[in-house]
Amino acid sequence: MNIAWKEIKKNRAKFVILGSIIFLVSFLTFIISGLSNGLSQDNAALIKDLPDGQFYMNAEANETYNLSRIDESVQSSVLKEQKDAVAISIQMGFVNDMDDKQHSIAFVTSTDSILFESVGKGEVVLDRSLQDKGIKVGDSLTNNQFSGGFTVKGFVDQKKYSHAPVAYINIENYKEIYRVNEMQLIFVPGKEKSQVITGLQSFTNKEFLNTIPSYSAEQMSLNMIIWFLVAISGMLFAIFFYMMNVQKIGLYGILKALGVKTSRLFGMMWYQMIFITVIALALSVALSQVFTMIAPEGMPFSLTIETTFQLSIIFLIIGFIGATLSGLQIKKVEPLQAIQQGEV
Amino acid sequence: MSIFTIDEVKKTFTNGEVEEQVLNGINITLQEGEITALVGASGSGKSTILTIAAGLQRASDGKVLFQGKNMTDMNQDQIRKIRASEFGFVFQSSHLVPFLTVEEQLLLMLDVSETKMRKREQRDEVEKTLKLVDIDHRKDAYPSSLSGGEKQRVAIARAIIHKPKMLFADEPTASLDSKRSKDVMTLIRELTKTLHITTLMVTHDEEMLPYADHIITMKDGMVV
Ligand SMILES: Nc1ncnc2c1ncn2[C@@H]1O[C@H](COP(=O)(O)OP(=O)(O)OP(=O)(O)O)[C@@H](O)[C@H]1O
Ligand SMILES: [Mg+2]
Repeated sequence: MNIAWKEIKKNRAKFVILGSIIFLVSFLTFIISGLSNGLSQDNAALIKDLPDGQFYMNAEANETYNLSRIDESVQSSVLKEQKDAVAISIQMGFVNDMDDKQHSIAFVTSTDSILFESVGKGEVVLDRSLQDKGIKVGDSLTNNQFSGGFTVKGFVDQKKYSHAPVAYINIENYKEIYRVNEMQLIFVPGKEKSQVITGLQSFTNKEFLNTIPSYSAEQMSLNMIIWFLVAISGMLFAIFFYMMNVQKIGLYGILKALGVKTSRLFGMMWYQMIFITVIALALSVALSQVFTMIAPEGMPFSLTIETTFQLSIIFLIIGFIGATLSGLQIKKVEPLQAIQQGEV
Repeated sequence: MSIFTIDEVKKTFTNGEVEEQVLNGINITLQEGEITALVGASGSGKSTILTIAAGLQRASDGKVLFQGKNMTDMNQDQIRKIRASEFGFVFQSSHLVPFLTVEEQLLLMLDVSETKMRKREQRDEVEKTLKLVDIDHRKDAYPSSLSGGEKQRVAIARAIIHKPKMLFADEPTASLDSKRSKDVMTLIRELTKTLHITTLMVTHDEEMLPYADHIITMKDGMVV
């Protein structure tokens, strides 16, 4: 006989309350994690969406790509050796649209590569978010450091850097605006180990992301929030299961007196814990996916089903540990206690 | 034939520094199929010896022999198994499981005692036992909707459904009025005789004594 299920059926309200708490806490964690991912995407989609590979910057640049200048001869020899390698530069800047409105953007330029948009002189390819700001294909944009204008050739999806939309421009135009001849970075896609290039320091994609100060600081605080939420929810689960078990000490005593095995009592508790947690998490996963769909445009939010499943598994494990720790008192219950309590 | 022997059982409770000897060497022998009543002043140790006999707490010294086997030598799980399949209990309050219906209380007991039966047979057995205690019309009720007497009859039904060899009862009629008490005692007596159960029962109530085959009086932790 499944006594665990019988109890859930009879004391529906109690279990619904417990389930709602698990639901709310996990939903909150999912949403925060979606926002965190969204922000991180907003901050560095340009880099994050690149395939795995190695970034190289000048060894004297103090791990700051902005200070990196790669010698042209080094660049050309690397690019000649590695067919897929690409030299890139990124600088924050502004463009003015036809109404003379200023837009903050990240200028990106690169040598020929399938990984980056190639644009002709006087042309620009923009992140789609600028389309919502009223910029159209064919518009002409200006920049106060640049003599000519940029003709908008098209838009690309999800190319953001440092919370600004990316503007791909031609190398020559870039050199004019920033008055430099050297590029900042070389990116070599591929899973092979980094090779040593004299004068250059290599970074994996992840290492490179962490050299961007705004990125690492932001991610750290967001991750902190998520892990705190997970830890606090773990404690909440444990406390709730503990209170439920304390309420049931008398019942456990009676069942033990009748001869029910302790292992069966644990099984009963686990069954109830898993039953409630799984339902609450399923609801929470479903609702967070709905939220992904209806999240307002422009709100940095990105929550994949994989992430929610990963977090759900963590919640299940935490719930299990919490329930089991709080259930250790079941072992200590003396059947006699329960019987004598009834006689008080 | 003796089925249950309590041999020189002593029990000492330690409350901080103070040691209190509650039982000073109890000897009781129970005959198969008979009802033995334990009487005596409050605090004389009746409940203590009953719960030791029932395997709900351990003696400090002495032996408890059930069918010739010494329970004081057994481990927790062996005693649990005996409680589950060979013993039945009725206490002053009925201690029913609040979220199970009357029928389910008995099904659980069949389950716990690992009585080998098919689903159908289980239901028939429950039906039969509930009829014995005259509560079959409430089989779908939860304990909270039963009267005190009804609960006690369910508790008795639960105590005997698995056909135990021993029935231990601690003031089973204390929460009932005089008429109900007599009904319950008549029931216990009938069941003991028809199912051949051996019963050890604590009672305060002189009116219950005619239902017993033997009466044992206790005083200050001793049999007198
Ligand atoms: N767990 C315990 N710890 C300490 N002392 C106990 C404990 N249980 C019982 N006692 C003591 O043992 C003595 C006998 O208790 P017991 O419950 O056996 O008496 P009783 O004969 O059943 O009394 P009553 O008729 O009032 O139920 C009492 O003095 C009681 O205070
Ligand atoms: Mg007593």
